[in-house]
Amino acid sequence: MPLPRWVLALADDNGCSGSTNAALTAVTSLPNLDERALVAEAQAGSRAAFEELVRRYDRDVLRLALNLMKRPEDARDVYQESFLKVYRNLHRFRFECSFYTWLYRIVTNVCLDHLRRRQARPEDQAPETNTGHHDEGITDFFERQREHRPTLDPERSLMGQEIKARIARAMERLSPRERVVFEMKHYQGLKLRAIGDMLGTTEETVKNSLFRATRKLRNELGGLR
Amino acid sequence: MSTPEKNVKCKDVAPLLVFYACDEISESERELIEAHLANCKACSEQLSEEKELQAALTSVPQTADEVDASGILLSQCRSELEEALDDLSAPPLQEHWRPFGWLRRWMALRPAWAGALLVFLGVLAGTQVVPWLQNSSGRNASGQAMNVRARQPLTPDQLSGMQISGVNFLPTQGSDSPNVQLQLNAEQPMVLSGNVEDSDMRYVLTYVVKNGDRFDAGTRLDCMDALKAATRDEQVRAALVNAARNDQNPAVRIKAVESLRDAAGEDDVRQMLLDALEHDSNPGVRVEAVNLLVGSLDREAPEAGPSSPDGPVVVPTPEPGDDASLERVVRVLQQLQRRDPNRYVRLRSAAALRQIGPREVQ
Repeated sequence: MPLPRWVLALADDNGCSGSTNAALTAVTSLPNLDERALVAEAQAGSRAAFEELVRRYDRDVLRLALNLMKRPEDARDVYQESFLKVYRNLHRFRFECSFYTWLYRIVTNVCLDHLRRRQARPEDQAPETNTGHHDEGITDFFERQREHRPTLDPERSLMGQEIKARIARAMERLSPRERVVFEMKHYQGLKLRAIGDMLGTTEETVKNSLFRATRKLRNELGGLR
Repeated sequence: MSTPEKNVKCKDVAPLLVFYACDEISESERELIEAHLANCKACSEQLSEEKELQAALTSVPQTADEVDASGILLSQCRSELEEALDDLSAPPLQEHWRPFGWLRRWMALRPAWAGALLVFLGVLAGTQVVPWLQNSSGRNASGQAMNVRARQPLTPDQLSGMQISGVNFLPTQGSDSPNVQLQLNAEQPMVLSGNVEDSDMRYVLTYVVKNGDRFDAGTRLDCMDALKAATRDEQVRAALVNAARNDQNPAVRIKAVESLRDAAGEDDVRQMLLDALEHDSNPGVRVEAVNLLVGSLDREAPEAGPSSPDGPVVVPTPEPGDDASLERVVRVLQQLQRRDPNRYVRLRSAAALRQIGPREVQ
């Protein structure tokens, strides 16, 4: 029975290529291509090339989506919606920027849409708010972490739990754009110029967003030290 | 250190510390900030706070690390994307065109509403469409918007108050007598339609001719035109004869004479024709009368001849009244031949006398 394509992709990610299966061969031969050639192949209609592009970037995409949306189901929606948009609009990509930038522009726009919709529905807030249920979730998470890492200092873990909850609450004060900028700068490690390209705005605008975000966080987390 | 670097103040540096801490400043800004920090303890402390804040923020485990450390969510996402891409890549279903497919789908999903809709359509078709179709077909067949037959004869009172606003002749097939439609303004407006053979219709038409002074000339003319097919009826004939003698309008008198063409051989009609020839001042009436008279004589003449073409001519034995009538005809024709002011009447009279002459000899 042929393996699902995503299994082949995972196998490929783990370096287990070299199967005699023709499909697998077709898939595993693509990683040798550079990004431009892959995009060109995908634009020509190669489904395998498109899947290779997905595998190259989808970890980062899902990470960004999870960090911004907090809820796995929302992150899955962002992932799916983003890559389907890429698939439908790939023929419009003219290599005026890197594929990575173009992809992130789509992903951040989808995230912003979701965040704005969520902001318009107060009952549909992310789980990491200041609620009893949320605190329980955080506690459960750190309990699990402690079980997995028994050598971790319990006191430090408890402090981390408190800090994490406060940071989560402070993050909720940011506007969707400020959250995206802060996430991409501090958690994705992108430069402000690149963030500006992805958001379709100037570096100065991104700087302003980051400055406002940091000021808000400092005000919220004044006694963090 | 240059002069501008010495003049940099804390309020200029403070906003840049955020970006200095995350390495997002230009080289020139970096030089200015570092030069200022070397001499400003407050800004140095603020920078330390900024770095601590950023370190605290970035040191917290991220949601992505917590939720999908094992990569299962990523695998699920990839699988779902594969399925979505398969759906996108699949060729569209070749559905045959189905008329009212949306209605069928709607009905299939809402059986109660569909049943109610069907019942409503059935009631609508039964109560509205069928009668409408019947009316429509009836209208097309007869061309009558309303067709009221006078089953009950009109009473004398109704007739005395009756006005006629229109007389229409309707085409008929297989009958010499026309269908007539009378639009009456009696006690209530009505349309009387029927064949002139119908006694009610004939009664009304005759009433109009008899009481010509109450109706306009056009109506009288139309009624006479309709009645010319019913001159066998004595009342009709009497009304027409009376109109030929007495109607004020010469055209109506001419029409009355013409309407009696089929009855020109009748005594009362012949007497009327002779009276008209002697006394009517209108040449048109006299022309029509002499034509009818000559025509009636023509029709009478062959009655003797063709019965025995090879034998001797048999002249029917004249009755006593016939002699008197014929004598008057001859006398009138002779007078017309000599005195009538109309030349056509004189010529026609002479021709008639020539036709009658041999018969008198025989």
